[in-house]
Amino acid sequence: MLVNIDNLSKQFKEKRAVSNLSFTIREGSCIALLGPNGAGKTTTLQMLARLLTPDSGAIQFKGYAEKDYRPLIGFLPQHPSFFNWMTGKEFLFFAGKLSSIPKKQLQARVQETLRFVSLEEAMNKKIGGFSGGMKQRLGLAQALLHKPKLLILDEPVSALDPKGRRDFLHLIEELKQDMTVLFSTHILHDAEQICDEVLILQDGCLKWKGSLPALRKEFDLLPIKVQTEEPMNGIIEQLEIIEDYEYIDAKTVKVRLPEYVHHNEFLQALINRNLSVTHFEIMQDSLEDAYMKVVRQ
Amino acid sequence: MNRFLTLLHKEITELMRNGKLIWLPIVLMIIGISQPLTSYYMPQILDMAGNLPEGASITIPTPTGEEVLSGAMSQYGTIGTLLFALATMNVIAQERQNGSITLVMVRPVNEWQYLGSKTVAQLALLLLSLILSYCLTWYYTNLLFTPVDWQVMLSSLVMYCFWVIFVVCVTIFVGTIIRQSSAIAGVSLLFLALISLLTSLLPKFMEWSPGNIRGEATKLLVEQQWTESAWTVIGSTATLSLLLFIAGVMVMKKYKRY
Repeated sequence: MLVNIDNLSKQFKEKRAVSNLSFTIREGSCIALLGPNGAGKTTTLQMLARLLTPDSGAIQFKGYAEKDYRPLIGFLPQHPSFFNWMTGKEFLFFAGKLSSIPKKQLQARVQETLRFVSLEEAMNKKIGGFSGGMKQRLGLAQALLHKPKLLILDEPVSALDPKGRRDFLHLIEELKQDMTVLFSTHILHDAEQICDEVLILQDGCLKWKGSLPALRKEFDLLPIKVQTEEPMNGIIEQLEIIEDYEYIDAKTVKVRLPEYVHHNEFLQALINRNLSVTHFEIMQDSLEDAYMKVVRQ
Repeated sequence: MNRFLTLLHKEITELMRNGKLIWLPIVLMIIGISQPLTSYYMPQILDMAGNLPEGASITIPTPTGEEVLSGAMSQYGTIGTLLFALATMNVIAQERQNGSITLVMVRPVNEWQYLGSKTVAQLALLLLSLILSYCLTWYYTNLLFTPVDWQVMLSSLVMYCFWVIFVVCVTIFVGTIIRQSSAIAGVSLLFLALISLLTSLLPKFMEWSPGNIRGEATKLLVEQQWTESAWTVIGSTATLSLLLFIAGVMVMKKYKRY
């Protein structure tokens, strides 16, 4: 375990942004913080980065006695803003010195980081002239410059174009070998690609935590969709191998099978009952359904 | 200490890149030397302005060098103070507004280092401008009027520097409280004006007031000796400035959000 978050709460004027949030972060894990807009994701991350003082609750890094744990974290805000008159390289040197990276290592570390985020060519340009994607990459560079234990990224890809988003996700994927990564997003697909754990927030409360397969399993739901030419009323109900079902219309049904039943068996059963199967699908997108169910709970 | 120096270096570089380190000394120098020049050419200026009836004669007594220098001080006191406050109002407000303060405060930087670097950089800029401007004014005064001893000039300059320190500390302190940069300048100037007003309304109770600095500096020019009241004013101004700085740090420590 790397960090223990205990009973974190934050109240803004009228709105309770985060209430009694508790979770732990395992060392080496990659965690996605999911939730609709306004769920309290940014507030949570800002409190973790010590940019926002929580009203109550504690954040404790394992084996780190000092209260100010800022040397251990790297943070990329949702809209990073830099000093526009600096060049990218100057900014990284500035940030590195503030994080007390020894002078001898700093030069090499800045080069290495710039190469990692592919900003080598632009490093001597003024940040004021950077595009949004370049700023995002520079933001990532400053966050990981001092090799933090915990990398916190707030909506790292939501402002990027499709290619930028894919590249950025690749970078995060590479990073998670070296450090623990916690990032927020409202896009499930991103979370699915790179993280191994999710936290789902809704109205400032933690609604669900665990791995993605576990989420699928818990809420999932009815992953097989069948369509036949004839109406299936009365037939599905008789099949004993089905755990649960839901009619979309008379000719279309979603079902769940118990683990020991192979889906071929179900198909066989349908054919044995003289139904003409026109569509048979094992749905992968059911994660979204699971998420919606969590959020609606 | 290292972090403070890094932040200070960033502040100074910023002052150079955005040109403040060039235009502020120039503007202040123009304000300063305009005093001996206009004093010297006043008869000609009046003549050129015309509208005087034929035969009218005006005699303007030629001021002494000390009087011209104290005139320059009064320019610094009005336009100069306005400039100082305007130059200082943005130092924190801007970084809070555009959010660049987050990428600084997410690193192990404390409030002393942050506010200290801002104050020192701003003082360096303004004091440098004042010294350049005052020395140039002194040079022109010596050319055009009776010469003023350099020691006298220097002691009045040192005295006046404390006013600049006070203005910077007030503006930076207000800047930690208010986010709007124009409001920062407004509130600071209002506060400084209030102090000056109270000083002239209640001279008995306000002997310690920083508002007396200009008067003391003028006294140093004319009477050419340090009096006890000069030390009182210097002491109280230095203490007040320090307290304002500490209060600013305390306000920042109370911030719930960067």
